[in-house]
Amino acid sequence: MGSMTTTAQATEVVSFERVSKSYGDVRAVDGLTLDLHPGETVALLGPNGAGKSTTLDLLLGLRPADTGSVRVFGTSPRDAIVQGRVGAMLQSGGLMDEVTVAELVKLACALHPKPYKPGEVMSRAGIAQLADRKVNKLSGGQEQRVRFALATAGANDLIVLDEPTTGMDVSARQAFWATMREQADQGRTVLFATHYLEEADAIADRVLVLHRGRLLADGTAAEIKARAGARKVAFDLEGDIDEQALRALPFLTTLDVSGRTVRLQSSDADATVHALYGLGVYPRNLEVAGLGLEQAFVAITTAEEARTS
Amino acid sequence: MNSLIKLEITRALRNKKFLFFSVVYPSVLFLLIAGSSDSSTMVDGTGLNLAAFMMVSMASFGALTAVLMGNSERIAKERESGWVRQLRLTTLPGRGYVLAKTASAAVVSLPSIVVVFVVAAVTKGVRLDAWQWLALVVAIWAGSLCFAALGVAIGYLATGDAVRPITMIVYFGLSILGGLWFPSTGFPQWLSDIASWLPTHAYAALGQAIELGNAPHGKDVTLIVAYFLVFAGGAAWLYRKDTLKA
Repeated sequence: MGSMTTTAQATEVVSFERVSKSYGDVRAVDGLTLDLHPGETVALLGPNGAGKSTTLDLLLGLRPADTGSVRVFGTSPRDAIVQGRVGAMLQSGGLMDEVTVAELVKLACALHPKPYKPGEVMSRAGIAQLADRKVNKLSGGQEQRVRFALATAGANDLIVLDEPTTGMDVSARQAFWATMREQADQGRTVLFATHYLEEADAIADRVLVLHRGRLLADGTAAEIKARAGARKVAFDLEGDIDEQALRALPFLTTLDVSGRTVRLQSSDADATVHALYGLGVYPRNLEVAGLGLEQAFVAITTAEEARTS
Repeated sequence: MNSLIKLEITRALRNKKFLFFSVVYPSVLFLLIAGSSDSSTMVDGTGLNLAAFMMVSMASFGALTAVLMGNSERIAKERESGWVRQLRLTTLPGRGYVLAKTASAAVVSLPSIVVVFVVAAVTKGVRLDAWQWLALVVAIWAGSLCFAALGVAIGYLATGDAVRPITMIVYFGLSILGGLWFPSTGFPQWLSDIASWLPTHAYAALGQAIELGNAPHGKDVTLIVAYFLVFAGGAAWLYRKDTLKA
């Protein structure tokens, strides 16, 4: 294995090369190739069953890949963990019960090769006031913060989070991402799986869209929105509406006319609106807005489904 | 790994139900069974009186309870909750989890052995040489590793829901058929033939030989070692299988 490692791979934080993993007939991950670069904050985005959790399991060495290679810091996932370079918070990561939060965090610090002080870890994770609480007496959101503390017990270079804000309310979620940004600002690479699309949009430098175990899109949130038809345009028209003419507008991706109101999506809204005036109509209440990542995401996956079925 | 062992021990000592069943319960059973006997009540074919016989049986039973229950149920539950996965994201070596569990169970099994001895010596006047007491503790404690391995195997075999009934069947089956609750000499011939091949029977026989001032029989030692290898091998195989399923 060692002789196969190229220098290009060694500089990457994570490197997947044509990785596949099936459970019976189900291909959870299908020929996935991707690299994560140092310092990136990356969102792994996809609907349930897209292969996000399996991808993270493979990355963390919790499951072996059927084919392909998974390297983390140029070595195997297990070795990267043993070197103390990877911290992870799993969706399915249970906690030891019958012990206190402080005892559990102390354990995580003791097991880390480059540990922080337990008190420090707890206050950063916002669980200092829960130190003496028994782990089995925590709420869902509190449990998530304890998991976060376990994932950040030492000076990791990569932090992997699987749906980290599940069970948190809005303010807890915001506090969580503020903490996470501090980690990223210290130069750490952060990879998180989510289906809270606004999170991917707000937090990540880079968004990977996963669908049926394959990488559908890889870019900034803005690029992914652009790829799905960047902007939506809405306006009202008086008199007869010539749908044929509207449909011929340049850069148009979708068109929806209901009553007087026209809604369309365009990959170049400026050109589309310019052409609209060229038709000699007078649009009222004109609105041009960016697509949310959610709509972009739906558009990309729907297009993909249409293509493959 | 020491940190995990320490925490597992703290946790085991905090669990009152677990402590009751492994430390207090065997002594209570001892008093119920041997309490009204006098020193001339002999157990046929063993050369031991009932109190001495039951002392070893109950000490073995207590140690069995601590290591079998301690391992199987916790491992199955923690596999299901994902704690085992979480630990795999630490530097802890794969075996570390199982070793920590077994070590903490062994810490609880030691008092369960000693408490039965003290109760037997005080209430029933069981008297042995110093080397015999020491050899009994060592033999029963070391022999319990066989059942610790069985507990690990069940923990990796059973789901969280099924683990308790499975453990209970194995636990009571081995205890009763192995003659820990009452001497298997009273069994019909066919049953006592079966019993003589059970690990629990060989386990109690180690202590009974020491009580008579002898070294444990070769057959019993061989049986215990063979069962240990089978259980430990099975546990290792199931552990590896579980790891691939994550």
